[in-house]
Amino acid sequence: MMLEVNYIDWNNALSILSKAFETKLFVLIIGPKGTGKTTLVRKFASHMKKDLYSVNFSLRTRESHLIGTKTLEKGEVSFVEGILVKSMRDGNMLYLDELNAAEADVLLRLDEALDDRRQLVLKEAEGQIVNAAADWFVIATINPLSHVGTKELPPQLLSRFPFRLKLEYPPEDIELQIINQHTSVDSSKIDEVKRSIKLAKSLREAAALEELYYSPSLRETIAFAKLIGKGVASKQAAEIVYANVYDQWGEVEYQKVMDMITSIFDS
Amino acid sequence: MRNDVLLDIATFLARRWSGNSRIVISIMRDIIPTARPEKGQIVLPIIDYFPGTDFQKYRQWRVALWYESMRIMHSSKVLSYDHAYGFLLNTIEKKRIEFLGLLQWQGMVKEIIFNESIFWLSCPLLNSLYGRHKVVEAFSQYFLTGYIKGELFGSEFERVKASAEFANSLVDQAIKNNYGTDWIERHIPKLIKMLEIDPLVSIPIIAPRTRIGLSINRSDLLKQIENLLSTSTKYKPDEIDSTTKKVAEGNDVLNEFKTLLNESTKTENKGYESLENLGLSIPKRLDLDETQIYDMDLIERTKAAFRDWKSGWVELHDKTGEEFDSESYAEMLAKPFLTDVKLSIRTKVAILLDHSSSIEDVELEYKQATIALCEALYHLGVKFAVYAFSTEARQVKCWIIKPLNIKWSTISARRLAQIKASGGTPLAEIYGLLLPITKSFKPEIMVTLTDGEPSDSSAVREMVLSYRKMGINMVGLGVGRNLNDSVGIAHNLKYLNYQKTLAVSRLQDIPKKVINLLRV
Repeated sequence: MMLEVNYIDWNNALSILSKAFETKLFVLIIGPKGTGKTTLVRKFASHMKKDLYSVNFSLRTRESHLIGTKTLEKGEVSFVEGILVKSMRDGNMLYLDELNAAEADVLLRLDEALDDRRQLVLKEAEGQIVNAAADWFVIATINPLSHVGTKELPPQLLSRFPFRLKLEYPPEDIELQIINQHTSVDSSKIDEVKRSIKLAKSLREAAALEELYYSPSLRETIAFAKLIGKGVASKQAAEIVYANVYDQWGEVEYQKVMDMITSIFDS
Repeated sequence: MRNDVLLDIATFLARRWSGNSRIVISIMRDIIPTARPEKGQIVLPIIDYFPGTDFQKYRQWRVALWYESMRIMHSSKVLSYDHAYGFLLNTIEKKRIEFLGLLQWQGMVKEIIFNESIFWLSCPLLNSLYGRHKVVEAFSQYFLTGYIKGELFGSEFERVKASAEFANSLVDQAIKNNYGTDWIERHIPKLIKMLEIDPLVSIPIIAPRTRIGLSINRSDLLKQIENLLSTSTKYKPDEIDSTTKKVAEGNDVLNEFKTLLNESTKTENKGYESLENLGLSIPKRLDLDETQIYDMDLIERTKAAFRDWKSGWVELHDKTGEEFDSESYAEMLAKPFLTDVKLSIRTKVAILLDHSSSIEDVELEYKQATIALCEALYHLGVKFAVYAFSTEARQVKCWIIKPLNIKWSTISARRLAQIKASGGTPLAEIYGLLLPITKSFKPEIMVTLTDGEPSDSSAVREMVLSYRKMGINMVGLGVGRNLNDSVGIAHNLKYLNYQKTLAVSRLQDIPKKVINLLRV
């Protein structure tokens, strides 16, 4: 059963995804963490009434997770299909999250499936050929290369995703709407939430220039709104949500962010 | 409080407050805080410009930075304070940008109140002023605080009062209708006429600390803070007392001050009493623009070339490990277990920049290459130190640009920017000078950016060999004026016993090629 997904489509992303789906061209969504990439994909899948198979890539994602593996059951060797193969056969939507964190061998097998033939040869299963169902659709997401653990995607794999959607942090008024969706903000607290959005924006700009090591996402602004909704003072909530994380990089980093908080929130 | 520590936080805050990520901060002695919006610069005085305890000085210095950042954001022009016309424009703008700034940075209110209280204490007594600038000072006091300090005679006070009312109406209209500096400036001639002064009358600028001495009387300060709070509609009468104490104590900023003070005590000397005894120096100027030696394109390409180093993790097969790999086992491979290993770069790098006169005409290119290398190493989290040498006043100086234990920042870039390429190339002697430091810091790689033409080649060969015997990989990197020059440099570097060498004639060749030099 598909749960209702709340997503504010502030940059017509859903319309672009729909067009991509109609033309059967796969989509790559590029954006920093916490900008709503996964929520967008889930919303789109729900809108298209398609089941969504998800893979979140990391170092530990093996080829076998995608393709499948042989197994021994009741004395007989059989092949258990991986998520990629299942998704191709079922013709549903495949979501490849943080694709540029995947290892090279994993990307190579994906590349095979994603080309125009939409076909995979299972060397693991006597060379069986798997053809994707007609309505099979793939969306991948990547974080910018400044993120730890990410690598550049090889050009041939990039070319499998001719639709590229940039998903940056939304404008401040949209971010406020998004926060309101996650937690109802009391009218008396709106001003404080707006300040925290401005603070987050400043910190993101600093992180983009590598003047800070960490960039807060929408998750932080939502967390701030929830905290002040529970009665925590705005300055204290800001310290908890925004500042404390910087302490791991030293006292000066932490104090820089605390100064921002001190200058934005009147105590 | 070290000026380079202040510069670091000032650069960060100014960029955030003003919304301009290119702001460059300079610190100079006894200069009135000034913003130059057209150049994206803010010039601040050293902290001792302000009166009071160290903490009180810091608070005023920080507020001064905030005001100048607001000027960058909201003013299109800042004139000189030393003549009446400029002084009046800047004073009226101060009120306008303060209002606009506080809309976003509400948390600055208490610090501004503190600053205004000290400003009032350090304001000159009008009775002690002689000359035509007295009326201008009286206007400034009355316009900004609603009071004058001392007395005015005859019709002077009426003129000042009327002018201040006119100036206040200008500010109100400007805020209401979103008018900027140009609109305000158009009305300055009328203000000058109302004050009956010459627009070019000189305004002597005196540092506040010289007006009221080193210490501030606490009870006077508290009284002044209380006066200011009482006139504000924001605070209820029963809050005044507690708020006065809060403003005076400044606890919001205290932890930040303590952290910066602590940071300032970190020495670059690594236990040595004096760097001068070792023949090492630190470039001291903080008032220059280092952006000229930043080639952003080169920096981004160098970072991109180094990116593989930053990927972070690698999977290793072994006979034992964290995870069983059934595929390897099925293929009867000898190492069927997998372990995830973090790719942390343990390499420590030392960089030495030859800044002798032989590289004078490619000085900028050498600096840009050094900056790009440093930015990439910093981006990767690699520990590194940077040194340079040149001749100054007939004395060879070995400069510390960035010691190992200090973070790479604009301060280090500024140190590099101020060194001029001059003098001979006593490279062997410089290696000798750096020997105690390199022995303690033990870099795996030492990169020398040079054209390979030292004063004594044999001595350099010996020194390079002795560094190599210590286990340091010696790498030579040169930038030539053209292809022939680069070929010559490459030969020179090879002759000098460097294990790996690279000579380029174009900076854009550096990124991809230099990564091979750094692989140990």
